[in-house]
Amino acid sequence: MNGRARLLWRLLGLLRPWWGWMALGMLLALVSTLAGIGLLTLSGWFIASMAIAGAGGVALNYFTPAALIRGFAILRSGGRYLERLVTHEATLRALGGLRIWLFARLLPLAPARTGVLRDAELFSRLRADIDGLEHLYLAVLVPLAVALAALPLVVILQAFYLWPVALLTLLLALLAGVLLPWWAWHRGEVPGARTIEQAAALRAAAADALQGAAELALYGGEAMLAARIAGLTADQQDARATLDGLQARAGALVPLAAQLAAAGSVLLGSAALRAGALAAPDLALLALLALAAFEAIAPLPEALAQLGATLTAAARVFALADASPAVTDANPPLPLPARGDLALRDVHLRYAEAAPWALEGVDLDLPQGHRVALLGPSGAGKSSVVAALLRLYPIQHGRITLGGCPLAACRGDDVRAAIAVVEQRTHIFNASLLDNLLLARPDASAAMVEAAVTAAQLDGFVAGLPEGYDTWLGEAGARLSGGEARRVAIARALLADRPILVLDEPTEGLDAVTAQRLYAALAPRVQGRSVLVITHRLGGLGGLVDTVAVMESGRVRRCAPAAAYPAASGSGIPEA
Amino acid sequence: MPAPDWLRDRSRSVRPLLGAAIAASAANALALIAQAALLASALDDAIFAHASARALLPALLGFVLLGGARLGLTVLTRRCGFNAGRRVVTAVRSELLAQVQRLGPQWLARQSSGDLITRLVDGVDQLAAYFARYLPQRAFAVVLPLAILAAAFPADWVTGLVLLLTAPLVPLFMLLLGHAAERASQRRWTALTRLGAHFLDALQGLVTLRLFGAGAREQALLAASSEAYRSETMAVLRVAFLSSLVLEFFATVSIAVIAVLVGFRLLWGDLHFFNGLFVLLLAPEFFLPLRTLGTLRHARMDALAVAASVQQILAEPVPARARGGGRVAQAPIAIAFEGVDYAHAPGRPALAGLDLRIAAGRTLAVVGDSGAGKSTLLTLLLGFARPQRGRIRINGIDLADLDLERWRQQLAWVPQRPHVFAGSVRDNLRIARADADALALQRAAAAAGLDAIIGQLPQGWDTPLGEHGHGLSGGQVQRLALARAFLRDAPVLLLDEPTQHLDAAAGAAIAEALARLGHGRTVLAIAHRMQHARVADAIAVLQSGRVVEHGTHAELLAAGAAYARLVRADQAA
Repeated sequence: MNGRARLLWRLLGLLRPWWGWMALGMLLALVSTLAGIGLLTLSGWFIASMAIAGAGGVALNYFTPAALIRGFAILRSGGRYLERLVTHEATLRALGGLRIWLFARLLPLAPARTGVLRDAELFSRLRADIDGLEHLYLAVLVPLAVALAALPLVVILQAFYLWPVALLTLLLALLAGVLLPWWAWHRGEVPGARTIEQAAALRAAAADALQGAAELALYGGEAMLAARIAGLTADQQDARATLDGLQARAGALVPLAAQLAAAGSVLLGSAALRAGALAAPDLALLALLALAAFEAIAPLPEALAQLGATLTAAARVFALADASPAVTDANPPLPLPARGDLALRDVHLRYAEAAPWALEGVDLDLPQGHRVALLGPSGAGKSSVVAALLRLYPIQHGRITLGGCPLAACRGDDVRAAIAVVEQRTHIFNASLLDNLLLARPDASAAMVEAAVTAAQLDGFVAGLPEGYDTWLGEAGARLSGGEARRVAIARALLADRPILVLDEPTEGLDAVTAQRLYAALAPRVQGRSVLVITHRLGGLGGLVDTVAVMESGRVRRCAPAAAYPAASGSGIPEA
Repeated sequence: MPAPDWLRDRSRSVRPLLGAAIAASAANALALIAQAALLASALDDAIFAHASARALLPALLGFVLLGGARLGLTVLTRRCGFNAGRRVVTAVRSELLAQVQRLGPQWLARQSSGDLITRLVDGVDQLAAYFARYLPQRAFAVVLPLAILAAAFPADWVTGLVLLLTAPLVPLFMLLLGHAAERASQRRWTALTRLGAHFLDALQGLVTLRLFGAGAREQALLAASSEAYRSETMAVLRVAFLSSLVLEFFATVSIAVIAVLVGFRLLWGDLHFFNGLFVLLLAPEFFLPLRTLGTLRHARMDALAVAASVQQILAEPVPARARGGGRVAQAPIAIAFEGVDYAHAPGRPALAGLDLRIAAGRTLAVVGDSGAGKSTLLTLLLGFARPQRGRIRINGIDLADLDLERWRQQLAWVPQRPHVFAGSVRDNLRIARADADALALQRAAAAAGLDAIIGQLPQGWDTPLGEHGHGLSGGQVQRLALARAFLRDAPVLLLDEPTQHLDAAAGAAIAEALARLGHGRTVLAIAHRMQHARVADAIAVLQSGRVVEHGTHAELLAAGAAYARLVRADQAA
């Protein structure tokens, strides 16, 4: 099985939970298609019979065919309506399910495996590619199933009257229903894939234009980016033009095949009629049957021209979802002790095989209830300590233990549930302030939220908001200043109330007075918890930490009581 | 302007293409009628005259040749339509982008960029189908039935009458149902864009969700919003498909009625077989274009929804720009804020009656608590917003009278959160100066301390950088922005706490580099840390949007007021 076929097969497997809906949709499509063919064919036979009966003065039972004709008409229109509802229901259910499936797959991959993707790109894959998969069922599977079921029936019926007509129809149906779609698929693959790629490139460029608008305005790059977007649009439209032309030609060839079949049926039938091998009304039946039968395959070539794009979308979705998590849980996992001393021993971490070591033998102790400041210049590996601690990235060597239990032997989710973190780049969700806080603890009471907000020095800010806690924070906290966003993150971490608190540069973006107040307010809140504060400048931390560890190039160089660092006690000596 | 009018307005620009598409489909209609006549006559001859295959050949050959001609016409119609759609998409996208750029960063900060990207890319794409398929088909749906009526009446007036009577019912019903469908379509569009924004948001916050163990909860939320989208869409489709059910019903039932009526009149000998078959063959074609139009109806609804959302952006009031003075300030540049008021929103003032002077070629540090209005100073100087009262004078000229582009060329800026563009390190630096050569890039990188970082990147200068600069730490991104400022080499330097992500040693190195860069230039530096402020020529202390103190480090320290308090707090912090 080649790659494309395997892809198709896997896609079908993913759709399995919705096969009931899908099969029902296909059945309804078949019924209405057959009713349509029946209506036209029977009508042709009926008027020919009536004309012959009229000319010859013979009696004819016209009640049955007339009733059948009306029955077909109703079956056809009602069937079409139900078919469309059911197929769309199936598609939407499958699409929603696929999105959730992908989200669930991506969650354990973040950030180690998803970080290399640009966010806009990640987004475009999820939303548009999965939407593109809609095409597979609605435009490919349904017509294919209908054609496969309806055409043999037509050919058998024709063979019952006149086998050469059946043979001719079969031949033309194979041409129009197999060869032509195959050709369209083949030819549509490249431009189809290109339209998908270019849409993704366009979204990435649009993201740059919008999110980098300030820099572009200042540096006069707006015209450059506008030109890039115009160029990408032109490329995308070129690929679409190729695809559209292909679809137009392939789509228009099917009616021509139908007309050839009808003309052939009349030629072959007239000879049979003269030879007495065919009844006269049956000639009209055969001609109209040939015309109508191709309705079943009409959507196929156009649909298959699109299949390339669909499979490209599918391939990208799978490539994204198939990455294995950077850190796998031990099986079976050990239970994580609720509290205990945290210890790092000879921890090595690097982000890629060939990358330089971010951590190169870190030894660090955070005894239960102690507070340690991790100090060091940018790039020393402070944030990598957090990444290793949270089991977001694997460590290549050494061990981290909590209460003597190695973290590697525990579930990553359990480890993270024991640690509350203020990330360096926290995400503020496009939701209300309250929802952003409750993320850490959905069942928190109003008093708990209030207390966390006060400790995080956010109470004044909240009081100034016209809608208070219900204020909408906007995408990525766009309506917050850097300092405000940081304090929302701190309040969130405090609310989570976990035995270990990690603060990664908590006072970034805060002025000195606020930072000082923050540290003062944190001290009573963190009684009994282990605290790790990561910072590149040690100031005002005296009241908070009891130990200072200094990191340099991936190692902890010194570790001493905070009192040994005058800057920490607030005596005004410049920082480390 | 209502959305339908906007679409009509747009279609004017592609009228020749649409005209060609319609002409080709009219020719197609005539060929179709001729085909029906040829097939009917061949069958008539075969059944009633027992004609030989040879005798039937000319009619059947004509039938097939006309089929070939129709193929060509179909392809032509499609191509003309496609080109019309393409033109509209291209034009609307560039207009929309230009408008968004005019609205500027201040406006963008209040928008969801996920939503805007969807509108700009996927939304505008959806306009194509309306012009490419819907409009030509709508014309065809008028031309073909008229042509068939004209052909059917002489052949069989009863059939003609049936068609004539049923035909107007179809658009009538479609109109009645169409309004409901249209409202539903608007709702669906809103649901779709919200869903898109929700997804982007959840993805950007994947790590945060993991840290708080909130992944499962978020997944349930996403499932709920997908489910809401499904039920909303199905509500739309139940209505939308109802209109096509009506069509389908009329189409099939009138074929049945015609077949039965024709059949009985043939039985009674009131009608010739050729005429009966001819009209029977035409009957399905009579309704076909209307049915196709029904399936393309979603294209119109989508286009209407897009039109409304595009118009909404195009109608946003663009912040007033230069009054047309178009003057240019010559370096060296002195800056003066005179009684400037600015509020981000009514009731949330950022600056209130601010007076501030920066002498040409000197460095002014602005300090103050978070929210004192420091960053707003830069926003106004960058021209992303204008004072609501008072003025900013550049060498005595009102900033509003300057040519904004030329003014910005005189600025270099190190923002708090620099944007890293998709592209290589080189591309990211060249944003600041497109024509910079390798040597200039090297120098700027070295001055900002970026060269060592580039040396460690896997592909050096060619390393691709992603959204939010993955692969670069916060401090490294800051150095990138610094390197841009060095490369810019502009007379005015705006610094928004440039060393905040850096450790003391690196901060000192950058500060020294900045001092070199700032020499002879006018510098406005926002400082959170006092040790960066103290080296400035002058310091202004901001409180609640006002300057409360102004002077040198020594003067202000001696005064023992607000600045002295900040310094004490900073040393303690």
